[in-house]
Amino acid sequence: MDENQPDNMLRAALRRNSPAAVELMWDRYANDLLTFLQAILCSRHDAEDVLQTVFVRIARKRHRLARARCLDAYVYRIARNEASRLISSRKREHIAKVRTESWLMVTENNQELSDLVEQLQVALAHLPQQQREVIVLKIYRQKTFLEISGLLGLSQNTVASRYRYGMEKLRNLLGNLT
Amino acid sequence: MNEKDLENDKIEHLLRRAHIPEPSPLLKERITTEARKEWNQTSVEMSWQIPLMRLVASAAAAVFIISIANFSSNHTLKKWRPGDVRATREQLPDLETLPEMPYHPFVRHLVSVNRRPSMTDASSLRNYAERVRRILKETQQNGASNEQVPDGGRSRLLPIQLSPDSYS
Repeated sequence: MDENQPDNMLRAALRRNSPAAVELMWDRYANDLLTFLQAILCSRHDAEDVLQTVFVRIARKRHRLARARCLDAYVYRIARNEASRLISSRKREHIAKVRTESWLMVTENNQELSDLVEQLQVALAHLPQQQREVIVLKIYRQKTFLEISGLLGLSQNTVASRYRYGMEKLRNLLGNLT
Repeated sequence: MNEKDLENDKIEHLLRRAHIPEPSPLLKERITTEARKEWNQTSVEMSWQIPLMRLVASAAAAVFIISIANFSSNHTLKKWRPGDVRATREQLPDLETLPEMPYHPFVRHLVSVNRRPSMTDASSLRNYAERVRRILKETQQNGASNEQVPDGGRSRLLPIQLSPDSYS
């Protein structure tokens, strides 16, 4: 019951057509969605723009969200669709952005760490999008495979294998660093 | 723990040295404002209105399709309207052009192919009727010329009754 409480609150706000639902959605999804979108787009600015599009789209089609069987999967699907739309509309530009724009941050002001993060970012950018999504959600949002499977509407085994293959590729790409 | 797991742990450790920043309050303000604006602009669509709207749209589409079909049918039938019926009736022997066949020539051909067995029956029946009529006519003519015949008016088709017991 406790697990479903945020769901129920959000659904109730959507049904009441209360604008407070926007705040609830922000609290519930903004952090994870921004991370997820950065994992897809490898760009913070693009991720922020798409996040705005996602929220506007949800506000416009709120009645559908209220009726969705799984809120999380529905919201993440919208986010992925919007990100894919942006990627296809700016395919050439996107390749340049992967190399120039940093979306992973370092806490300390350390040149060595900055270089490392730069390499991590490039390595992550070379992974297939689906593997990158899983790795980023697991590492940077501390999600379990079960949670990720619920968010992405996939089976737990699929999520685990995507993670495993992704880590394998990262191991090859970052071989000299480990 | 095997070697792969150890290496995965190392990579995870490396990845965790970086982080992805949370959305700034400025971004929150910008996005929630836009979303609220959209919320207020969009009309309230109650859940029951959606299936109703779909139903109305389906009904409108159905009416449109039926009207188009009616119009097309009327247009096709124009050349088969009553004016031609008499002429068609007069040409009865040609069963390919029956009045109830207002179709495309190909469809008409198919229909006539399907009707062929009954057509054969009709023509043979007609021939038979024609033959009977001719015989009757001849008989009548013969009857008129041989009025003095005692058992007059008997048809050639019927056997002559020699005695009342003949049919017993």
